[in-house]
Amino acid sequence: MAQFLRNYYIYLVLLVIIVILSLTNLDRFDLFARGNFLYDRNIINILRVSAPLLTLAGAFTLLMVSGYIDLSVGSTMGLSAVIYAMLAINGVPFLAAFGLTMVCGALLGAFNGLLVVKLKITPVIATLITLSLFKGIALLLVQDGVSAIKSIGDIKMPTWFNSYGREGVLMGLPMAFWVAVAVTIILVVAQNRTLLGKYAAATGGNPIAAKLSGIQTGRVVFVLYIIVGVTAALAGIARSSFMSLGDPLSGDGMELNAILIVLIGGTAFSGGEGRVFRSFIGALIIMVLTVGMLTLVPAYFQTLVIGAALLAAAASNHLISRKAAE
Amino acid sequence: MTNQQQSPVLSVEGLVKDYPGVRAVDDVSFSIERSTVHCLIGENGAGKSTLIKMLTGALQPTHGTMKVNGSVYQPNNTHEARGHGIATLFQELHVVDELSVLENLTLGMEVSRFGFFIKSDLEDRVIQTLKAIEPSIDPSARVSSLSVAQKQIIEIARAASSGANVIIMDEPTAALSEREVDRLFGVIRRLQETGVTVIYISHKLDEILNLGDTVTVMRDGKHIITKPLSEVSGRAELIELMIGRSAFQTHTPRTKISDEILLKAENLTNDLLKDVSFHIHKGEIVGFYGLVGAGKTEIARALFGADQVAGSISFKGQKVGRSPKHAIEAGIALVPEERRTQGLFTNLTIRENIPVMNLRNLSDYGIFRSADEVAAAIEYVDKLSIATDSIEKHTEKLSGGNQQKVVLAKCLFSDADLLLLDEPTRGVDVGAKTEIYDIIKDLADEGNSVAIFSSELEEVLGICDRIFLLYSGSLEEEFINSPDVDVSHILNVVTGGHEGAVL
Repeated sequence: MAQFLRNYYIYLVLLVIIVILSLTNLDRFDLFARGNFLYDRNIINILRVSAPLLTLAGAFTLLMVSGYIDLSVGSTMGLSAVIYAMLAINGVPFLAAFGLTMVCGALLGAFNGLLVVKLKITPVIATLITLSLFKGIALLLVQDGVSAIKSIGDIKMPTWFNSYGREGVLMGLPMAFWVAVAVTIILVVAQNRTLLGKYAAATGGNPIAAKLSGIQTGRVVFVLYIIVGVTAALAGIARSSFMSLGDPLSGDGMELNAILIVLIGGTAFSGGEGRVFRSFIGALIIMVLTVGMLTLVPAYFQTLVIGAALLAAAASNHLISRKAAE
Repeated sequence: MTNQQQSPVLSVEGLVKDYPGVRAVDDVSFSIERSTVHCLIGENGAGKSTLIKMLTGALQPTHGTMKVNGSVYQPNNTHEARGHGIATLFQELHVVDELSVLENLTLGMEVSRFGFFIKSDLEDRVIQTLKAIEPSIDPSARVSSLSVAQKQIIEIARAASSGANVIIMDEPTAALSEREVDRLFGVIRRLQETGVTVIYISHKLDEILNLGDTVTVMRDGKHIITKPLSEVSGRAELIELMIGRSAFQTHTPRTKISDEILLKAENLTNDLLKDVSFHIHKGEIVGFYGLVGAGKTEIARALFGADQVAGSISFKGQKVGRSPKHAIEAGIALVPEERRTQGLFTNLTIRENIPVMNLRNLSDYGIFRSADEVAAAIEYVDKLSIATDSIEKHTEKLSGGNQQKVVLAKCLFSDADLLLLDEPTRGVDVGAKTEIYDIIKDLADEGNSVAIFSSELEEVLGICDRIFLLYSGSLEEEFINSPDVDVSHILNVVTGGHEGAVL
């Protein structure tokens, strides 16, 4: 029983939250008018705004499985959003802007990897440094007097700009969401079926044994930082497109959300354990809670309620794991 | 009070410790006089460590009594032992580098009121103790600036100033240079003057002869003798007492070993190793035998590319890149000394552990063939008879012997031509031990070479074709194993008696 609970716990949590939100009388569901949580437009909206976090969840999990962390994901996301918007507003076509932004994300990730692997700076410190560094660059790129790259006067964002994050292409859901799904599928396969996934688990589980088993742990970690950088850039593009602007602060707080979802998904903070797909579900839980809260409780109360719900989730997850281990 | 003065500081009577299938300590009785240096010697597996663990409360005896100052003493843990004035100097040091010497000495004993430290005579007392045993250490120095030997002295001072009247030292000189050893001996003698009793465990017989007042010899869990060292004639007598007359089960070397040289190491030198040269033939089982700190692990790690070393290593006639990855690719695999921290992925299952040194073999273009992984795991679980109900079991939950077999399976799966086994049967039960030896012999018969790095003489004599004797980082002697090897000569060499020492 405890084993069953441990394996399916996270899906039950998601289900319970959805059921509670659906059964609640949503008179105050002003935002989406109809007053039913399981209303298709509401679901689409939740999944749409979830795209950035869903994109990031898998790569962040793999990095934590290997025993490392990247606190700069929010800044990487913000900087990527700014770069993407700048490219778009200066007439670079969609695919080129998209590709160039991904390359930037890879470079930012590689920089993190360099600090951690080559200079051997503690991951938390190294990525706190780049959190500030990347955000600084993003703020510099936006000209004085405005808060973001956006349409001002004659200079207009191209018309395609917000379709990536908003316009339904399949089942009413936008490209950004399907990219998140695709990234997750790729990373689930990477975790279960590729050397990278095996090496990540070995590195996080026992770095000394991994080295003595001939695994080049430094290279594994470096590659994972690059992958996190790329997915953070994809998250930045999604957010930027959804908001129709390149906001340098658009990724603020993302690192906390990312840590929360992997913890909810059962990833060990110390490395060695964690599943990509469970983090994806964890991300859905956070987003459902966040959006659900919007409609249920006064704004000033929401953060506290979400915090309490997460605390309950993490604590019971811990208890179940301990029970199952006995 | 007079009674307390007269009775020995520590005595044991009829002490027995049973493990499943093994009697580690068998009816041991002896006593230790106040203010002496009491040495404890014996071969590996003689029961010294188990005895010490009972004295320090880490283990509880199956039968028998222990007495401190004549009254019965039954510690349930090391903390209670400390309360009775019995402290241990561990091999790993427990000092805080970032604090000063004085802060380290008073750590955990600070006197405080409302959370603030208050001045007490504690500091003066501690400084007094330190000055008495080693005046050259400045109490205000930061511990990080001290050498390992000095840190060790800090730990001794800490034990002494916290009121310990018996300090147990287990191989305290393993990591020390000759000059540092002399200084430690000075410290021990001054401790003795202050009324402290030292129980000193070492394999280095010259140290025992030089330092000790009394010696207790153990063999196969039994107490052989306790006598004053002044009545001991020399190394030869101690060695004889340690090994007794019982002969070892020695291995008759296999006759058809090829002349083909598989590995050739020349002038290996690093922090510990001194100009070590040797070669290993194809299909041969060689043994490296020496005591703690003799350089066995260092040679194994150097051959595997895990540590930097000067000198040259050629394998199959070619130089090997100096990293574990290169070594594995060339065909060398290492079963490390510490299986839990260096060999095994306890977070992973048996299935995931076994192929980890050679995952490329199970993948095409980085994509993994899961079915082959399962097949490989089943094959090796079967081949090495790893006792488990499923290959999906987490290795954390296996017994020591089965964990060691998983580590061995990892190395076998890497298709190595040369297996380096560092203490392959440490912490493994007798049954699994025999099975591991059989696996090693089979491997050699199939043409693989095996190098065993062991501190158990019985092990190297029982399985190796050729044996190298190590002492303090240098290769002292090499001989072909045979049923009539001179065991006392071997022990003399590995305890440092090679260069015309007293015999």
